[in-house]
Amino acid sequence: MTDDPDFLDDFFAAARKTRPEPGADLLARVQADALAMQPVAGARAAPARPGLWAQIVAALGGWPAVAGLATATVAGVWIGVAQPAGLADSLSAVLYGSETLSVDPIGAFDLVLLEG
Amino acid sequence: MTMPFDAEDELDDAALLARYAAGDAAAARQLTLRLTPRVFAHALRLLGNRAEAEDVAQEALIRLWRIAPEWRAGEAKVSTWLYRVTANLCTDRLRRRKSVPLDDAPELPDPAQGAEDGLQQQARASALQQALGALPDRQREAVVLRHIEGLGNPEIAAIMNIGPRAVESLIARGKRALTEMLAGRRNELGYHDD
Repeated sequence: MTDDPDFLDDFFAAARKTRPEPGADLLARVQADALAMQPVAGARAAPARPGLWAQIVAALGGWPAVAGLATATVAGVWIGVAQPAGLADSLSAVLYGSETLSVDPIGAFDLVLLEG
Repeated sequence: MTMPFDAEDELDDAALLARYAAGDAAAARQLTLRLTPRVFAHALRLLGNRAEAEDVAQEALIRLWRIAPEWRAGEAKVSTWLYRVTANLCTDRLRRRKSVPLDDAPELPDPAQGAEDGLQQQARASALQQALGALPDRQREAVVLRHIEGLGNPEIAAIMNIGPRAVESLIARGKRALTEMLAGRRNELGYHDD
C-alpha cells in the first residue's frame, strides 16, 4: 500500500497521454450517419402559420389589392361627404343622361314566352 | 480513408449542432471529427473493448443526429448529454455481459513515444485500465470523468444524474480501490522504493 497522494495521478496522467483515438473506419461510419440523417437544408426554415391580418391580406389578393381597396374606400367616403357640386352634376349627366330612359324587361320576356 | 483532423473550435458544440440541423454539411463533418474521439475514448474507458466502444460511439452519435433538430441551446451542454448517453449505452452492454469480466488486456493504442518513457506510460495506462475494469460501474464512470476526462464535479453530477456529494463519494471510493489494486504492482510499473 502506498501513502503517496500523487501515486494515482501518475496513472491518470499516463491515461490522458495515451488517449485511444478512433480509427478512420469509425470516423467514416459516423460521418456517413451524420450526412444521411441530416435534415434537408431549408426544411426547418418553413414559415410559421400566418397571423390573422396576414390571412386577411392574402384573402383580398395581397397588398396591391388592399391598397386599391383602401383608395376606393377613401374616394367613396370623400364623394359621399363632400359632394362637390360640379362632380355631382357631371356624374348625374353621365349616369342618367339628360333624358329619362325607360326600360321594360318584363314586356320583352312576355314576348319571348308567347313566341316559344 | 484519410480525414484531416482540422476540426476547429471557433463555434461551440451547440452552435455547430444548430448549423448541422440547418443542413450545413461542413458542420456534419466538423462535429464528427470533434465529437467522435471524445465519445469513443470514453466508451473504451468504460468498456475496455475497442469493437464494443466503436459500436457505442456510433450509436451515441446517431442519437445526437436524431435529436439535433429539437436541440435547444442553453438547456444542456452537448458534451454533457453525450457523456450521459454514452455511459447509458455502456451500462446496457455491461449488464448484457453479466458475469463476463472486462478484458484482461485492455485494448489501448500504441504509445506515441517510442522511448522507454513511452513504454512506461503505456504500461501504467494499461494497468490503470485493468484496475478500472474491476471497479463497480458507477465508481469507474465517476473516476474516469473526473481524472481522465478532467470534468468538474457539477458536470459529473449532471451527467450521472446524482448530487455532487454522491459524486465525491463515488470518486473517493473508486480511488481508494484503485490505489489498493495498483500498489501491488509498484515495482513492475517503474516505482522503486528508495
